[in-house]
Amino acid sequence: MNDILEVRGVTRRFAGLVAVDNVSFTLGQGEILGLIGPNGAGKSTLVSLISGTVAPSEGEVRYRDQVISTLPAYRRARLGIGRTFQIMRPFPGLSVLDNVAVGALFGHAGGHPKLAQAREQARACLDFVGLGRAVDHLADELGGPDRKRLELAKALAMQPQVLLCDEVMAGLNLVEIDEIIEVIRKVRAQGISVLVIEHVIKAIKSLSDRLLVLHHGVKIADGPPDEVLAHPDVVHAYLGKKRS
Amino acid sequence: MKLAYWIGIPAALAVMAGVPWYGSPVLVQFGINALLIAVLAQGWNIIGGFAGYASFGNSVFYGLGSYGVGIAMVQWNLSFGTGMVLGVALAVAFAVLIGLPVLRLRGHYFAIATLALTQVMAAIVSNIDLAGQNVGLVLPPMNDDTMFYELSLGLVVLATLTVFWLTRSRFGFGLIAIRENEVGAGVMGVNTTLYKVSAFALSGIFSALAGGIHAYWITFLDPNSAFDIGVNVKMIIMTVFGGAGTVLGPVVGALVLSAVSELLSSEVTSVASLFFGFVIVAAVVFMPHGMAQILRDWRKAGWRCFVDNIKAYRL
Amino acid sequence: MDLFAQILVNGVLLGGLYAIMALGLALVWGVLNIVNLAHGAFIMLGAYLSWSLYTFLGIDPFVGLPITAVVMFALGYALQRGLLNLLVRAPMFNTLLITFGLEVVLTYLAQMVFSADFRAINPSYAGASVALGPITIPVARLAAFGAALVLTVGLWLFLLHTRLGRAIRATAQNLVAARLYGVEPMRLYAVTFGLGMALAGMAGTLYGTVSQINPYIGSALTAKSFAIAIIGGLDNPLGVIVGGVLLGVIESLTTLYIGPTFADVASFGILVLVLIIRPGGLIGRTRTA
Repeated sequence: MNDILEVRGVTRRFAGLVAVDNVSFTLGQGEILGLIGPNGAGKSTLVSLISGTVAPSEGEVRYRDQVISTLPAYRRARLGIGRTFQIMRPFPGLSVLDNVAVGALFGHAGGHPKLAQAREQARACLDFVGLGRAVDHLADELGGPDRKRLELAKALAMQPQVLLCDEVMAGLNLVEIDEIIEVIRKVRAQGISVLVIEHVIKAIKSLSDRLLVLHHGVKIADGPPDEVLAHPDVVHAYLGKKRS
Repeated sequence: MKLAYWIGIPAALAVMAGVPWYGSPVLVQFGINALLIAVLAQGWNIIGGFAGYASFGNSVFYGLGSYGVGIAMVQWNLSFGTGMVLGVALAVAFAVLIGLPVLRLRGHYFAIATLALTQVMAAIVSNIDLAGQNVGLVLPPMNDDTMFYELSLGLVVLATLTVFWLTRSRFGFGLIAIRENEVGAGVMGVNTTLYKVSAFALSGIFSALAGGIHAYWITFLDPNSAFDIGVNVKMIIMTVFGGAGTVLGPVVGALVLSAVSELLSSEVTSVASLFFGFVIVAAVVFMPHGMAQILRDWRKAGWRCFVDNIKAYRL
Repeated sequence: MDLFAQILVNGVLLGGLYAIMALGLALVWGVLNIVNLAHGAFIMLGAYLSWSLYTFLGIDPFVGLPITAVVMFALGYALQRGLLNLLVRAPMFNTLLITFGLEVVLTYLAQMVFSADFRAINPSYAGASVALGPITIPVARLAAFGAALVLTVGLWLFLLHTRLGRAIRATAQNLVAARLYGVEPMRLYAVTFGLGMALAGMAGTLYGTVSQINPYIGSALTAKSFAIAIIGGLDNPLGVIVGGVLLGVIESLTTLYIGPTFADVASFGILVLVLIIRPGGLIGRTRTA
């Protein structure tokens, strides 16, 4: 099996609204898969379905060919699924270092390190994303771009095999976006498969091996970035029908 | 700073341990009361301060501990130690059985549910023959205040050491993560259900032990006093005043407030309770993180730290 | 069968009273997100206020309802403006604690002023009852039920049809949007809390006419109000009525068939069950944020 993650016919309904509608796709080992779509398309819901904060109404999610859609979030985390949150969820009262240390302490399978070791691992992750200097600050004190980096560091501390990035680039300027792209490339170089949700089309086009497009909860395209972005359905979804 | 702790705390302990020998009997009795409340406060600290779940149900554990000792000694003629074990067993069973469903509730719902449970326990127990129904139980007398004092002191030390362990253990870290952001904690691999129930049970154990000692000490036990919500009131106030989530806060808060209340209540008992009410209102407004935080902030900002605390939370 | 019908009627009458008790709590919780642990103490305060009006000024409790309402409203307004406002952006835990502290303060103040003796408000018609076929209905209870109904419908109409009422509902749903439409939060919060306390106070008056009062009834009444508010849901006063009546009937039936001490057990047992199975309330919808 070269696909590390497989989503099969996943549907999620919220009291009458269908957020995700019969979506199926795979994430290959070591691949960077981009997920785009207009606002409200169901991208974040899809990520929540994979990471476990939301359960599917129908369908299943498989990780390394094992069904995980019935497992609670913390079990999936330990199996190797890490995610960042679009609306960030730091631990406000803890220092940046300790925020990441939580990931090192709880996030991976096979034994857990002592507190001191966990903090060392956290330090390494913070350096990896470029937050080494902010180690002792309170998580609350960080500004926007740094918070994004913190989210990444926290997920990386869990030693994930799959990393789900939910709009890590939102609100960043061009320089910061390039830096984050570099970090994600470094992550992939470590052998981690990445699913990236983004709105910044130019960035995600250069970053992704493959693009997935969601619209109103339905998958409308899946393929190499250039093809997908030229697809009429995708153009229609973003820009509306062309008046002839 | 650390040196001060290494010298100061053992010294304070030695002084406190010696009270039965150089203090008056009244002081010893005050000490037992204050120390037992300190245990309760420290126990509540685990579920309320570290895990962030404001439990109004620790009175139930307290009562179960009391009845454990009461039933064991009065109905079954067992020893005090066995009674304590029974009390702890009851508390843990309750924590798991009730905790599992109730801890799934978010903060304020959890508080309400535990409040409701406390109201109910007295009614239920007053219908149980084994527990002496409404009349209660009278325990065999034991006129050894020194023993009770040292026992209570030992329990305070044990509780505080446990909380100290929390600050440097993976378990404690998990609890703090749950408090700061429960969903975030779950996604990062913390088994929130297991941890919450464990914290609840751990805090319950200390409440039960304190209840057991108290029951044997005053040799009398009835449903209303055993499951008195006022006990929960006190432990919350003391912990919050001293500093929830800190190691020494609850103990210091308990001892200080007990002392002040004792001085006041030599007048009228309701003044003492009134005082407690005012303390908590003032504490929540001016020092929401307790005395521990004030001591830290004072060095930086003096009186202004109180004003800053208000500014942080107002509309 | 007659006995059953009597118990049922008792339950419904009791339920109306319960509903009005919970209404103020639901309003404050739904709009201000304040979980008011002192709610029962406010009910107790209203009861003592009416008792004082009756005992020292001879004012009939039902006639004195408006006075109670105004006094309690003013108290609530001041309390919110002066104290609770300071905690608007604090974690929920702080509000829980401060209302907790208020409960303690009010209880012991009442004990100091009124002593711990049981009191009752006993106007001349207190013992009288009306017969409806085989069923006896105490006049006081019927009057209390009627008043409760009037107040609930009044509140519902207020929320639906007046500008202030709509502003309150808007704020409950979306503070930011409401602000954009010119709603001034500080005043609105104070008014809403004042309303909540006025309702609690009036509930206390009604409670005092059908039951004995003492300074310590606060926490039990708070717990009960929570039970009703949660069962009935926070966004609809009518849901609270249903919740109250449901609880009243269950308590009456439990008292008859199992035993009086178990009435409380029944209602709180139901509360805990509802919280566990459907935290959204049986009828309405409780706030999930």
